[in-house]
Amino acid sequence: MAADFLNIMPFTLLFLLLNMRFSSGLLGFGDTYKRQLSMELNPGLNSSIPPGVNLLHIRSLGNDDTLHFLLCNLGSPTLLLVHTNSTSSSIQVDWPEFLAGNTSGSLRVVPENAVLHSNALVLVRLWEYDDLNDTADPQEVPVSSFLPPYQLESFQWEPLNNSTLDPQAHTVRLCGGDGSPAFSNGSFCLQLSAFGSGGREAGWPGLLHNANSSQVRVWLQGVRPRAAHSRFLLELHALGQPYGLARVEVLQSIDDEYTPSIFTVSQWLATPSNVSSPVLGFVEWKPVAYRRPDPIFTDATPCHHSSPVAVGGALSSGLALAFYGAGAPATGLNISYGLAGEPFYNTTNYLSWSMLAGIGDPPVDSFSPLVLAIMAVGLGTPLLLLLLGGVFVCVRRRSLAEGQAYSPIN
Amino acid sequence: MAGAEERRSLLGDDDDYGESDPGPPTDRTMLAVCDPTRLLHRIVVLVFMCFLGFGSYFCYDNPASLQTEVTQDMNLNTSQFMQLYAWYSWPNVVLCFLGGFLLDRVFGIRLGTVIFSLFVCVGQVIFAAGALLNRFWLMEVGRFVFGIGGESLAVAQNTYAVNWFKGKELNLVFGLQLSMARLGSTVNMNIMGWVYNRMADLIGATGPTTLGAALMIASATCLFSFACALVLGYLDKRAEKILKKEKGKTGEVIKLTDVKDFPLSLWLIFIICVGYYVAIFPFIGLGQVFFIEKFNFSPAQARAINSVVYIISAPASPILGFMVDKTGRNVIWVICAVVTTLIAHMMLAFTFWNPWIAMSLLGVSYSLLACALWPMVAFVVPDHQLGTAYGFMQSIQNLGLALIAMAAGAILDTRGYLFLEVFFSACICLALIAVVLLYFVDLLQGGELNLSAVARASLQEEARLQKEATLDSE
Repeated sequence: MAADFLNIMPFTLLFLLLNMRFSSGLLGFGDTYKRQLSMELNPGLNSSIPPGVNLLHIRSLGNDDTLHFLLCNLGSPTLLLVHTNSTSSSIQVDWPEFLAGNTSGSLRVVPENAVLHSNALVLVRLWEYDDLNDTADPQEVPVSSFLPPYQLESFQWEPLNNSTLDPQAHTVRLCGGDGSPAFSNGSFCLQLSAFGSGGREAGWPGLLHNANSSQVRVWLQGVRPRAAHSRFLLELHALGQPYGLARVEVLQSIDDEYTPSIFTVSQWLATPSNVSSPVLGFVEWKPVAYRRPDPIFTDATPCHHSSPVAVGGALSSGLALAFYGAGAPATGLNISYGLAGEPFYNTTNYLSWSMLAGIGDPPVDSFSPLVLAIMAVGLGTPLLLLLLGGVFVCVRRRSLAEGQAYSPIN
Repeated sequence: MAGAEERRSLLGDDDDYGESDPGPPTDRTMLAVCDPTRLLHRIVVLVFMCFLGFGSYFCYDNPASLQTEVTQDMNLNTSQFMQLYAWYSWPNVVLCFLGGFLLDRVFGIRLGTVIFSLFVCVGQVIFAAGALLNRFWLMEVGRFVFGIGGESLAVAQNTYAVNWFKGKELNLVFGLQLSMARLGSTVNMNIMGWVYNRMADLIGATGPTTLGAALMIASATCLFSFACALVLGYLDKRAEKILKKEKGKTGEVIKLTDVKDFPLSLWLIFIICVGYYVAIFPFIGLGQVFFIEKFNFSPAQARAINSVVYIISAPASPILGFMVDKTGRNVIWVICAVVTTLIAHMMLAFTFWNPWIAMSLLGVSYSLLACALWPMVAFVVPDHQLGTAYGFMQSIQNLGLALIAMAAGAILDTRGYLFLEVFFSACICLALIAVVLLYFVDLLQGGELNLSAVARASLQEEARLQKEATLDSE
């Protein structure tokens, strides 16, 4: 009975191991694709522009395609991603028209027939509400609890310069405020990072990125809350050609190694209505924000998204207007921060949230080599011992038996 | 809280313990309920005996049952929270050797029990006061004091049981006490959240004051146990006078020099013990928030599932104990238990399957391991070294629990739950390696540990006959 059991056990363990839900692919060494990045401020501009307006262009050159990342704060801060199948595509800006802010086609990617896909993400408003009953659910909060939202299109932004641009790391930081007393000692900031290869940011939430994606971190620092129980929402709009960001998928992930205690990832996908067709572009985030710049475990606070809806009205983004034109359809959703019972914004006066925006399929997380190594050693050693021990015992028994077989002759 | 209650099943089989004949019945006529020679009186004593440990078992897992509340109200991270468990274990690294000695030589069983339950009481009150005053270090002090009393109280409880029930209903009494201990843990897990919420309603807000008030209420159970200790002391003294019986002794002899004579198999048993229990108790300590965050359980559901190991253990321990007794083959049973636990932990780590499955598996395997592992010590060391071996086993178990509790908190804070579960699985794998080695070491040495019950009985019979034969020839 003992021997039977010992024979079966390894297979049971193996079976379990094989049946485990790996997030995808056993080893995540997939994303080795590399791109060459170059950064350019206000491409093609000869004259001076109004203070505080910036257009940053990051060109990401692949083997047979080019990605253009554009960040502009004319109107609402906007990130535009354009994917072209040419290695020589470029940006053309008609600056006077562009700055006038009402002409479609004043910013183009040429040659135009090389454009495969484009997505724009617009940061529209920052909502603040007084969560008196501590529900942390904007749907449940009475309308009267909402304070006038901060319209990001009317913010004054610090100019982009050497202290906010890092051409080596391909990051840019944009900070601003509306000039009201609430912003006297604080600011609303966003940081864009573009990547030439796969990897992962060191700090939390540690989103996995690849060469086809860029990361946007948004944070509020030192902004004075206007109510005692303030919580915030961020309103995002998205546009796209040929497909805009439509449905949000929430995927479960068993791997929370890089984002402790977060077991889901939300993906806002640009895809034709046919579910099986490939994903063209995405915005991805983990439902967590942090209450401190260098967060520890307890500084994490969950966030929720509303379901995306079609939004009408005038575009607040100069960049989106220039690229897509006035009538382009857009969808929008809100990200709300906090959970009932959790501390309010005023405990730290800080809130930070990150998302990934890119083209193609979102990068897929996988177990870290350390986790795989521990499990391999942990499960492998007992199995190896069983094997070696079994062989040793068999050999010993056989030699003993042989010894006995010969002994009568002696 | 793992050690002392497991080893008692062995204390009962040993012949070195205190009481001889109950002595002649007294001439005075007494009501049955007052007469120490009568069953009815012993049942009364049993009730007090069972509730003697209730307070300490109830309060041991207070932090686990109020994990979110403790971390939020005291503003802690997980490593700080797990310090509460580490501080409980530290004094027991030493006290496992000293507890028996203190009871036998220094205090005596009655005074010893009162003193240890006083420690439990005072410890819990300090713990609660630390919360009331919003001083976390004071809470840690409280847990330390609580730890001094907790584990030794379990030894005292065993000694009382042997003293009163030896040769009568001892195994049943041990079983009842074990079930009572599990009941204490279970009630704690499921009621403390409610107590906290009532306090929050009463005070009007959550915070350290609410937490302190809830913990103060919990300390009432310790006070109750302390009262039981006083009553037991009185009844025991009275019985001693009436029956002129001997004082109860643990009969433990600790000789640290025995350690160098411990065989390899005993060291392997120690490794199994440490590797296994560190993946159970710190896990339960952190369980509540794990079930809330990974499986979206409500706090009440999370507390319920976190107590399932204890709930299963209450009825399963006697049944599995009986099964192991009847079949023997302890090593195989231990392998079964360890593998099942490994599977359960891997299910929790790598799947979103309903955690009730994994936790139920964990409950059954935990009970099975306790039944199969602890008796093996008696097979590998001679009787006179048994006290030292058990003391040593509990001591390193507590050392392991203290260290792993701190490590688990730090891992969760920086690496998250997947890594924590992988870490616990690695601990179980260590236990698995040790038990596989034990199987082969035992096989090469003749397979004594893994005998079936029938073979073991005939071997014992043979030994007895041999002994008689040698005695006759002398």
